[in-house]
Amino acid sequence: MKIAIVVQRYGADINGGAELHARYIAEHLAAHGDVRVLTTCARDYITWRNEWPAGEEIVNGIAVERFPVARERDLIDFRERSAIAFNHRHSVEDELRWLESQGPYSPALVARLREAANEFDFLVLFSIRYDHSYRGARIAPNKAVLVPTAEREASLGMAVFPPVFRGVRAIMYNSFEEQSLIHAVSANEHVPGAVVGIGSEIPDTVHAERARHAFGLHNPFLVYVGRIDTNKGCADLFRDFVEYVDRSGRVLDLVLIGSAVLPIPSHPRIRHLGFLNDADKFDVIGAAELLVMPSPYESLSMVALEAWALEKPVLASGRCDVLVGQCLRSNGGLYYMNAGEFGAILDRLLSDPHMSAALGRCGKEYYQQNYSWPVIEGKYLSMFERLRKEPPTHAMETLPGWWARRRRNAPPAEAVVAGLPAGPAAMPQAARKQAALT
Amino acid sequence: MADQNHQHGRRPHFHRGRRGPDRRGNDRRHAPPQQEQPPARDHVDVEQIMREIRSRISQRHGIDLTTQQIQELAARRLEAILDPRTVKPSLLEQLRRSAGNPIEPRPEDPSLSYTFEATTLYETPHGFLRFMRRLLHPILKLFFNPNPLIQALNTQTRINQALLARDAERERRQTEWNALHYDILQRLVTEISRTSLEAQGLSMRVESLAAKVDFNERRVRGMENTLHQSRPASRPVEPASAPALAAPVTREGAPSEATAGDTGREGSSEGGRRRRRRRRGRRPQLGTPLEGATPAQGIDQAGPLAMGEVDTEPELDDEDDEMPGGEPGGEALLDGPASESDEPPAPTPPEVEPDYTLDPFAATPSVDAVHSPSTTSDPPAGASSEQPQDATGSPQSTETPDSGTSS
Repeated sequence: MKIAIVVQRYGADINGGAELHARYIAEHLAAHGDVRVLTTCARDYITWRNEWPAGEEIVNGIAVERFPVARERDLIDFRERSAIAFNHRHSVEDELRWLESQGPYSPALVARLREAANEFDFLVLFSIRYDHSYRGARIAPNKAVLVPTAEREASLGMAVFPPVFRGVRAIMYNSFEEQSLIHAVSANEHVPGAVVGIGSEIPDTVHAERARHAFGLHNPFLVYVGRIDTNKGCADLFRDFVEYVDRSGRVLDLVLIGSAVLPIPSHPRIRHLGFLNDADKFDVIGAAELLVMPSPYESLSMVALEAWALEKPVLASGRCDVLVGQCLRSNGGLYYMNAGEFGAILDRLLSDPHMSAALGRCGKEYYQQNYSWPVIEGKYLSMFERLRKEPPTHAMETLPGWWARRRRNAPPAEAVVAGLPAGPAAMPQAARKQAALT
Repeated sequence: MADQNHQHGRRPHFHRGRRGPDRRGNDRRHAPPQQEQPPARDHVDVEQIMREIRSRISQRHGIDLTTQQIQELAARRLEAILDPRTVKPSLLEQLRRSAGNPIEPRPEDPSLSYTFEATTLYETPHGFLRFMRRLLHPILKLFFNPNPLIQALNTQTRINQALLARDAERERRQTEWNALHYDILQRLVTEISRTSLEAQGLSMRVESLAAKVDFNERRVRGMENTLHQSRPASRPVEPASAPALAAPVTREGAPSEATAGDTGREGSSEGGRRRRRRRRGRRPQLGTPLEGATPAQGIDQAGPLAMGEVDTEPELDDEDDEMPGGEPGGEALLDGPASESDEPPAPTPPEVEPDYTLDPFAATPSVDAVHSPSTTSDPPAGASSEQPQDATGSPQSTETPDSGTSS
């Protein structure tokens, strides 16, 4: 079985969500087939500047083909096109230009995908919002297995994506909430799909004491792992945490792991450790009381899964449907909507270690049942097997003609997304049985 | 095979007819070891926990309404403020409409926006008639001058147009003002609603604090009464005479008992805040007489009086130490000394024990505890096991809602 993994960036040192997801999937599927990665030369997701040389190389035993990006992202142009597509009535052509403006725009990669359509059994396309996935799905719809990594954000409401969701061969969702969103926006229930998500490389043992000594973490602490950014809810987290510790007087620290885009308030209880390697990261999580995830936009949150794998409870933002759904399905975390709930939940978790431990154990059980690597690999392999056996039952809808593409009949994307159903999705009975069997 | 038997409601074969320690031993009555039931141990329900937490938050704040609920409440209040008997009934609806809808220009009345030119007087759709009027126009001018009339009418058209424009502008501004007024009114009512809710919460809190203060005052008075009444009785005992040493602790001896207890608790980290309550029938043996000390240590440190206390109060239970101030039993503490003070200061036989021992350092019970009728009586022997349990099976924290995050 020959599988092409198509992703916008690829490298052993890239830790972005979809990119890491793609790398893990490539490395784990390599044990079951001939896996090759098709990607760009870009390393920076803002500019898409060509930083790696074009051509073929081996990354962690996986063959990687890199293709140059034709132009870097013009942020002003992208912002203007986003404003048109998100907030105004616009045309399909506007959306296609938006895709190109967003990047990475690589005609060489698209040309390679045309060849790959005949060369590979399946093209696993990551992140629907990027040009290569959209075009790759249209080039080889019968071999396209899409990993949308879609979130409740404006681009999901664009008119060019629903035909792709309805036309690809299969979709591997990250969560039940993502599946519900895509079903609602495109009515693609007929497309074979599975809620898979992603596992993580969890070490067998973590050395919490080592982390405490190495980083001087002498007090009980919450840990946040990820980019420290307003979009990730960190500004709200700082405000809620400072208010909580100032009010309660509890000896509790907030430890931040990750690169800071947002200025971190100077507070004696907030510690920033910067970017850590995986071993340190897991050790710190292992030493924490719980992991806090304030982001309102997450399609999966690998960090939350890693915390559960280490038997740590998660305190998540109640504004993120996916995280709330994960907490409810796993019984491994609690969620807050405001500063009052943040404090009350922290009080409860910190004063009731039995409950915290039980949440952590439930989280670990949930991780093992749904996100351990044998389960993830099994879901991919069974999907490939099913697709090999079944002939394609649906076709990709063609793009509108030249005039139709320029007709301003597409509604503002934000309005479309605002009309989509919200809230955590329940795990279907069949999936629950499957998880229990696993 | 054994499992199948279980499924059919049959006892496994190896249990049949057993009559030995295997069936009569301790294992028979005790639950199976914990490791045999890991799922029960890990059973938590996040939804249930979230409900409990939110319920606790709402209890703490008295009233906890979402923004939307406050806005709904404000809308109802707005209806009440704009009483239809005193305000034009359609005003609110008009304001609401003008606030919600974009301003649309009123359609112009064509009869008001006509134009009047020099030729208007002679215009007609009939070409012949128009020709004849133009032909006879010089003759008409012989009779009168139509120019002032034309100018006046022309000026009137301009005045009409200016008035229309001004009227439209005024209407637009009025609509904007209406929208602004409605918005301000709505915000004011929302803020008033929010403020009144906060005031309500604060008044409840003031009431709660006043009750606490009142309770503390009563408690202090009770303690002072106890001290005043006990001093005359204890003075004769102060000399280290043999009868005093032999005498068991009396009810009036509570302060001296407390002193002994304090002496005994010096070795304890939290002895100063302990309140002890009498529990009947819980301890088959003597148990720990003083918290933080072994029986021997306690007796040694407290001296002969403490020995008397130990001897006479074998049922003192330290279990309430788990509940800091503000726990059930507070009112009993309050009432205890007052009722005891009525009794004569005679030595009490060992079997007649005081209902309560009073620790002057005990923390203040909460108002809830004061007002709760169930706390006025001595709790049953198994009361401590009736603590609410959470989904994990572990006892819930018994802290008052104010604890931890109280403002």
